[in-house]
Amino acid sequence: MSKVIKSTYVSEAVDGFTPRTAMEEASRCLLCHDAPCSKSCPAGTDPAKFIRSIRFRNVKGAAETIRENNVLGGSCARVCPYDRLCEEACSRCGIDKPIEIGKLQRFAVEQEEALHMNVLQVPATKKGVKVACVGSGPASLACAAMLAQEGYEVTIYEAEEKAGGVLTYGIAPARLPQYVVDHDISTVKNLGVKFIFNTKIGKDISMEALQKEYGAIFIGVGLWQEKLPEIPGVGLPGVLAAADFLKKARKSGGSYHPGNRVVVIGGGNVAMDCAVSAKLLGAEKVDIYYRRTIEEAPADMAEFQYVLSLGVSITTNFAPAEVLGTDKVEAMRFKGRDGVSEAKVMVDTVIFAIGQGADDMTELAPFALNEKGLIKVDDFCKTNIDGIFAGGDVALGGKTVVEAVASGKIAAVHMMNYLAKKEVK
Amino acid sequence: MGIKKDLSIDYLGVRCENPFFLSSSPVGSNYEMVAKAFEAGWGGVFYKTIGIFVADECSPRFDHVQKEGMPWLGFKNMEQISDKPTEVNFENMYKLKKAYPEKIMVASIMGSNEEEWRKLAKMCDEVGVDLIEGNFSCPQMTSHAMGSDVGTNPDLVRAYSKAVAETTKIPFIAKMTPNITDMTIPAIAAIEGGAKGISAINTIKSITNIDLENMTAMPVVNGKSSISGYSGAAVKPIALRFVAQLLQNEKLKNVPLSGIGGIETWRDCLEFLLLGCRNLQVTTSVMQYGYRVVEDMSNGLMHWMDERGYHKLDDFIGSALGNIIPAEDLNRDFKILPDFSQTKCVGCGRCYISCYDAGHQAIDWNADKRRPELNEKCVGCHLCLNVCPVANCITPGEIKWKDGREKVGVALKKSYE
Repeated sequence: MSKVIKSTYVSEAVDGFTPRTAMEEASRCLLCHDAPCSKSCPAGTDPAKFIRSIRFRNVKGAAETIRENNVLGGSCARVCPYDRLCEEACSRCGIDKPIEIGKLQRFAVEQEEALHMNVLQVPATKKGVKVACVGSGPASLACAAMLAQEGYEVTIYEAEEKAGGVLTYGIAPARLPQYVVDHDISTVKNLGVKFIFNTKIGKDISMEALQKEYGAIFIGVGLWQEKLPEIPGVGLPGVLAAADFLKKARKSGGSYHPGNRVVVIGGGNVAMDCAVSAKLLGAEKVDIYYRRTIEEAPADMAEFQYVLSLGVSITTNFAPAEVLGTDKVEAMRFKGRDGVSEAKVMVDTVIFAIGQGADDMTELAPFALNEKGLIKVDDFCKTNIDGIFAGGDVALGGKTVVEAVASGKIAAVHMMNYLAKKEVK
Repeated sequence: MGIKKDLSIDYLGVRCENPFFLSSSPVGSNYEMVAKAFEAGWGGVFYKTIGIFVADECSPRFDHVQKEGMPWLGFKNMEQISDKPTEVNFENMYKLKKAYPEKIMVASIMGSNEEEWRKLAKMCDEVGVDLIEGNFSCPQMTSHAMGSDVGTNPDLVRAYSKAVAETTKIPFIAKMTPNITDMTIPAIAAIEGGAKGISAINTIKSITNIDLENMTAMPVVNGKSSISGYSGAAVKPIALRFVAQLLQNEKLKNVPLSGIGGIETWRDCLEFLLLGCRNLQVTTSVMQYGYRVVEDMSNGLMHWMDERGYHKLDDFIGSALGNIIPAEDLNRDFKILPDFSQTKCVGCGRCYISCYDAGHQAIDWNADKRRPELNEKCVGCHLCLNVCPVANCITPGEIKWKDGREKVGVALKKSYE
């Protein structure tokens, strides 16, 4: 019999390091010249430096290195696809297995909190220029933190009641516990960034009003539009889109029960998060169906392994064909990729994790959109509208948290350039 | 970016931006090396020892000691003093001082007679180095008129220190050998001769490993080997001991001391400073990891100062020295029983094994629960605490007073990393 992990919705998937085990892991680090790990982070994190600090007993220095570069260092430590970024580049792979860089980053950030460090500081002299960030996901938070550190007065507008965007509402807490997100956000708050909740731009406040009040605006609202396939029966109760399901689960704190038989359709990390959440929320049977192969799937291997360890099944090469049921969903019918195979599965809840779309952003302002319907930006995160920048998923499509952070930082740099030029005029 | 604290310090009348210096060794042998070290953040360098004698080196010349997979616990080195022409070295030091006026240039010199010591001191004077260190301590010289054979002879140390002090006004530092029972004797001799500072320790005479292929020591030089200097983390305890003994000596207590021996981390730096050192010298960890080790020494020390509310090194230098007292003066009226955390214990039984085989059979083993149980034979030695693999699982617990002894307040160590 295979040993399946029994866990709860809010318990963490992996235990962190203690000071001793962190030192043991850091001691495995080869302390490379021109370290390849440090060249592989989209957000510019320098693992070689912070691991060396841990190795030389300077844990505070390690935390400082991480936080100065990435205001979401705690969250990224949990959700980054390390196995295809820094850890894949690790020279230690040539000996046995890579250094657990993500886990060491998590350790350093945990120590930052335990030791009550305040790494990021606001400058004594303020710029006296107001900037707004719309949405409070990773891109907006990174953008806001960078601007605040340079003395700008930043206000974040969030449609939900809590900050974090996808971090708070779109990832299973087993992978990203809320306290980790909250700690990251507290470092942004400590920089004097103002948060205004339950306020949707375009509904509660108009974009024009925002443009009048703020010198520059960053749009980082993410992708929240439910995407469902056009197949028969998709409108039946019991059929959910991933974003909707994950948000419901997170908001319930673990009390939401999705039914006993859950089918998740998709092959990305969001699908894995849905399956993990459904299982940990108490579903007896959770099955993932994906239309292609594991090799073609965008999800990280670590996530596949984790869902398997919980006892979730994964069936590949089957695409959804029809949702069956009268008053609510009762079964799912799938068609094989070979054109011959078929499957029919009894089910209480069907979750489609097949990508999210953006709301129609032209309703907000006359944005130019790209072919995917996302806000069109240049390399500097500039939109077609003067003074408005955009980044994160709403401009890049569904990318990783660390890529959202990177784009928020790029936007911040160019917003500062823009504001400096505007002042000169 | 990052934390900023003042690490500057006055050392022998010279203002140093920080106390982190390279010791006279292979790590500071030429212009490019020292320049790179300065750029990396080192406050100064004890340039590799210069003599009239130019070394002829063997190959290979290094070895290291490991335990349970951890390499470089100790390091053996057979290199002597510089193998470059004397004039080239002085020219390098001159150019380095010109290019990096804020950094401190210390010339390390070694003569084989008074005349050579005077000659070298004069060249230092002409080049305008900040300080001069006399190498009385290299244990692997091919001549007995130089190195640690001189350092164990107080008359020669006094005479050569005098020769330098009479030749130049640049402060002279005598570098001590640990291959001696009482280091205060040559140290006092050096001060009597006119030295202004002492550095300690140079390397310890050693045989690190015996090679089973060639039936000789390591490293193997054409089937043979020699006794030579041992350094690195393994020698730090010995270095700290000599430092404490020097600074607790009535005649030496005000002599600025430069601490050397196994320094790798900011913690190591701090330990030497807490005993009273005003300068720190490093080689072995640079040989293993490179000049970059200074980054975490500096940053880590700043974070510690910040945590404790210190603004400068002089706020805490020497703080631990007075608490190191003769064994006969320790309070021996009590024992501290170990406290075993039932929740942290993983049931390995290592405490039981060590207590039985090397202690006082004070731990009974509960085989059903796989847990240690302390009995009345415990003497409070804390061998169990030292051998336990789990952090803060075995900690100091109840204090028991010996019969008829007076109870006083007891300062305890509470947290073990």
